[in-house]
Amino acid sequence: MALNRKIAYIDLSSGKVETKPISMEMRKKYLGGRGLDAYLLYNNTKAGVDPLGPDNVCLVSAGILVGTLASATARTHIAGKSPLTGYFGSTNMGGFFAPEMRWAGFDHLVIRGKAEKPVYLWIHNGEIEIRDAKDIWGKGVRDTQSIIREEMGDREIKVMTIGIAGENLVRYANVMTEIKNSGGRTGMGALLGSKNLKAIAVRGTLDIKIEHPVEALEYNKQIISQITSAKVSQEQGRLGTLFIWGATNSQGLVRTRNFQLNQMEDSDGIEPETFEDSAFGMTGCFGCQVHCRAKYIIPDGDYKGTYDEGPEYTSIGAFAAEPGCTDLTTILTGNHLVNDYGMDTLEIGSMIAWAMELYEKGILTDKDTDGLDLSFGNEKAVIEMIHRIAHREGLGDILAEGPLRAAEKIGKDSIRYQVHVKGMSNLHSDERPTPALALGIATASRGSDHLRSRPAIDLYHLPEAVLRQIYSQPVAYEGPLTSDYTDYEGKSWQVFWQEMCYMAVDCLGICKYHTIFLGPNFPNFEEWSKLLYYNTGLELTPLEIWTIAERTNDLERMFNLREGLARSDDWLVDAYFDEPTKLGIPLIRDRVIDRDKFKQMIDEFYAFHGWDEQGKLKPETLKRLGLDKEPSHLL
Amino acid sequence: MRKMLVTDYEKCTGCRLCELVCSVKHEGVSNPARSRINVTKWETKGIMVPMVCSQCEDAPCMAVCPTNARIRESELGTVTVNYDRCIGCKTCVVACPFGAINFDPIDHKVISCDLCEGDPQCARFCETGAIRYAEASDANKMRQREAAEKLYESLQKLDGAGVS
Amino acid sequence: MVWRRGRLILSEESRQETTSERTARGRTHGAFRCLNCFERIVPPEKAESYKCPKCGFEWRVSWPSPTIPRIRGPVWETNRRLTDEIMAKEKGQGK
Repeated sequence: MALNRKIAYIDLSSGKVETKPISMEMRKKYLGGRGLDAYLLYNNTKAGVDPLGPDNVCLVSAGILVGTLASATARTHIAGKSPLTGYFGSTNMGGFFAPEMRWAGFDHLVIRGKAEKPVYLWIHNGEIEIRDAKDIWGKGVRDTQSIIREEMGDREIKVMTIGIAGENLVRYANVMTEIKNSGGRTGMGALLGSKNLKAIAVRGTLDIKIEHPVEALEYNKQIISQITSAKVSQEQGRLGTLFIWGATNSQGLVRTRNFQLNQMEDSDGIEPETFEDSAFGMTGCFGCQVHCRAKYIIPDGDYKGTYDEGPEYTSIGAFAAEPGCTDLTTILTGNHLVNDYGMDTLEIGSMIAWAMELYEKGILTDKDTDGLDLSFGNEKAVIEMIHRIAHREGLGDILAEGPLRAAEKIGKDSIRYQVHVKGMSNLHSDERPTPALALGIATASRGSDHLRSRPAIDLYHLPEAVLRQIYSQPVAYEGPLTSDYTDYEGKSWQVFWQEMCYMAVDCLGICKYHTIFLGPNFPNFEEWSKLLYYNTGLELTPLEIWTIAERTNDLERMFNLREGLARSDDWLVDAYFDEPTKLGIPLIRDRVIDRDKFKQMIDEFYAFHGWDEQGKLKPETLKRLGLDKEPSHLL
Repeated sequence: MRKMLVTDYEKCTGCRLCELVCSVKHEGVSNPARSRINVTKWETKGIMVPMVCSQCEDAPCMAVCPTNARIRESELGTVTVNYDRCIGCKTCVVACPFGAINFDPIDHKVISCDLCEGDPQCARFCETGAIRYAEASDANKMRQREAAEKLYESLQKLDGAGVS
Repeated sequence: MVWRRGRLILSEESRQETTSERTARGRTHGAFRCLNCFERIVPPEKAESYKCPKCGFEWRVSWPSPTIPRIRGPVWETNRRLTDEIMAKEKGQGK
């Protein structure tokens, strides 16, 4: 059955590998994926561990429904203490790696220590081998995968790898699989790089037994129809996540020129529909019928003729809106380069745009940039900076350190122009008119993030009755809810609800596009209860799944608190409160976040969690969720 | 009247849901190694091609089988295995020009598409239309129509440019 | 909805509509909401741009499928002018 997958402890220093089963008790408390990763991280690290040292752990996992019939069960989760923020490090990627890892017999890998020389892991049907990586060290993401496949003589091998950026310990380096599936946030690529671990290759042919195959098939069909019949899925299936950028830019909810403006008016040439002409079909992750990745060939420039996949919302943000560029080729080339170097698109786009603003303000000069003209709109400079950051050359070496460390090195007021939370850059969207979205990024467990609790459907202006149906299950909620996205009322509950929803989906290993993220009537707790039963035989009510999500979220919080996180870290940079938006429709123009109301939102948010005013877990919360004995070392 | 699985590589997104539902339908497990259909990929070029048994009229697998275990089920016209006769020599696996016959690594038996007794799950779940279950004599019609449309458009362009 | 263990498949509860199935019934095709006033508007088939009858904001339209219109982007001049007017009026009222 799906629940007999094992956990492997791999010590790269000694070369020792140990495998253990995962008890049913642990499954019922944490499910798997991000849930068990939170437990493993809290139990396998000590406070203050050096993120790039041998005592930090790198956790790789598959959610409990990965590889089963639950629609888009493709997600791999990677966790560890973040080299970027020093807090909870966690990233999630699609593709085909996690299912293959399950067919190879494993759900969780706990990687410790540091290899003497570059190595990679070979995992095949229950066996794990540490192999020499001399042929792939120094290679890009796609070459690495091709070389391993050729060397092993098996085209079906799935590889998770770091690129050159990860080897060079760029603090926001990705882990990657396939062409463009990226675990981008919190610098997990640097974590692998610090362990001299270039890649993990898996191949498996072991069964995952489906407990009730007939029902699972039929129910999966029903869920797929529910998802693909939605307008949003069909838009996404043609335009990818670019369509979100198009829609939000139309209103003025994007970030341009390093947060100076909130709308890009000269953007017709980089609209999703314009890009669609350069794409030739779509591709998707394992078992997914939404297929949101476009296939394209770079039409022009130095990389003309190169195949790649994407681009995404963040690619437009990073290589067009933020640095003020308007050429589609820059986006497509930039996307290709970060995919092959293995870097977080979001972070690198923010760092380059930040450097551009510093250059504009005279804080950085030609001497700092080695003569490179870092003016906004210089397309060539953007591409050049990607190379420099990946190789850590000149200014790139400083920018590779991430927002806070780079600002410290540059000094001179440069921190004022950073747009970050907990040392991680914000998504290239503008949350000043939308308090709910702002609360999400301010409180996300892995630092600024839009995929931990963002109530994106808040932007749809849904009738209150619909909101009430969605947000009052599986836990009753009778407080206020409003359709108006500029409002503060009831938004903290929405953020709390979404946080539980995304946590649950990450424990299950399903993609967020298959739950209430962009589609208001997509599967959530009730559906998951059935999916779990049909596929694994595990009987959990929607409320029990919710409680698991609460427990896991709180464990992530406990990890952060242990690393010294304080209430003051759940906050936004001053620009959110002091500099009104300049562009966009009337509802969005001239908006800032109100400090007092925002404080109150955070108070409410903490209260829903059962945290005290300082954001620490109350004793009764610890007890209710069974977290009072952590670390309990049960695995 | 004979129906077949029509595959279209231009529409395939490479998600491998067909492999998943095939193995669940036939074996009750998720395991693409035991699927009757496979998506062959060239990841670095973005090419994905679903490969499945064509139920050939003059089937090489039937011709090479030393024990006559490859038999044609008359109603659907599928070429299936009679496991009472099959000795597991895998000659058919090698002989198939499409590589569409798999060898199940768990049960150690030869497996190939049986069209799910007339309701192929791969086609049922494939929403992009990369795998369709269609009348064999109509299998080309959709492609023909798409090609005709392109031809028509280009002819119109020629007219418009005053070349004709 | 009551969830009882051990009877998930056969129980009446599991056949009841879930929240997401219930809310999905309210879906509309052929329409989009104006991004300024949130009025649900129905552009004519294959329209390339459409002016919101309620607020006058004008949107460029694209069609991901024949029944799904989507806002491709604003008609910049129209919307910029209207926004400036509205903002000036609000300022005049001391807001």
